[in-house]
Amino acid sequence: MGVTIRSLFLLILGVGLMAFWIGSGRADGDAVLPMPAGKLYLNECGGCHTAYAPGFLPARSWKKMLGDLANHFGEDASLDDAQLGAIEKAILPLAADTPSATLLMRRIASGIGPTEAPQRISGSPYFKYMHDEVPSSFWKRAKIGSPANCAACHTRTSEGRYFEREVSIPK
Amino acid sequence: MTRAILLGLLLAASTAARADTPQQVLDMLSQQAGGSASAVRGEKLFRAKSTGGGEAASCTSCHTDDARARGQHVKTHKEIEPLAPVANKERFTDPAKVEKWFKRNCMEVLARACTPQEKADFTAYMLSVR
Repeated sequence: MGVTIRSLFLLILGVGLMAFWIGSGRADGDAVLPMPAGKLYLNECGGCHTAYAPGFLPARSWKKMLGDLANHFGEDASLDDAQLGAIEKAILPLAADTPSATLLMRRIASGIGPTEAPQRISGSPYFKYMHDEVPSSFWKRAKIGSPANCAACHTRTSEGRYFEREVSIPK
Repeated sequence: MTRAILLGLLLAASTAARADTPQQVLDMLSQQAGGSASAVRGEKLFRAKSTGGGEAASCTSCHTDDARARGQHVKTHKEIEPLAPVANKERFTDPAKVEKWFKRNCMEVLARACTPQEKADFTAYMLSVR
């Protein structure tokens, strides 16, 4: 049996389809978390700091935080009731422990004790694990300054994207 | 279907930004201050050091000495876009946004609300920066 045009074509088609399937598949390390739709969350919760993806903390953490915005890490970040209600409605269904959580969100949630309601994302076991190779001197660089400053290195945080390949560390 | 259209319209209406010019916003604030605004007093307020507030002792703590420059939040280190309209045309175009940040930042720096006169002066200074 010799090489025919038909068998060659089938081979190329097969390899092509396989390549497409592999290339478009979700990699295990896909670091993307859902963000609330619209601009409210970005404007109100992303004015002073990165608009963190709600999936970084469980719902109980967010409830606690929204319940005390007048004392938000030492600042008064209070919102009017309408905005507060809208933000709560937008972020709780995207929290780390939501029933529709992705594998990544489940992993984040699993590192947090069931009775804990942590307020600092950078204190979570998942954050520490993911950043354990970052030298402490990096955090002190002028444009970074703090582990809370996700957007300094992660270039697409407003879309909930934290892919390693999209990291750009300021000098 | 009708519900979806209504919802869409509602959403569009609620997110529609007030598009004023910085001059219109200044005029409004001046009016609230009794008709006057001084860029000189505004600059003094911008550069004043306060001892009463939080970690930011002055507007310049985050916004830098140059209102045309990018700033950085003193605590979170988040980058802040320039404050002067000459460098950032979005500034002072949304009265609600202006009011929100006066409320937040006067409390942070001065540990009190700013007076209508201070808001008018501050805005007059920002618009005068070239």
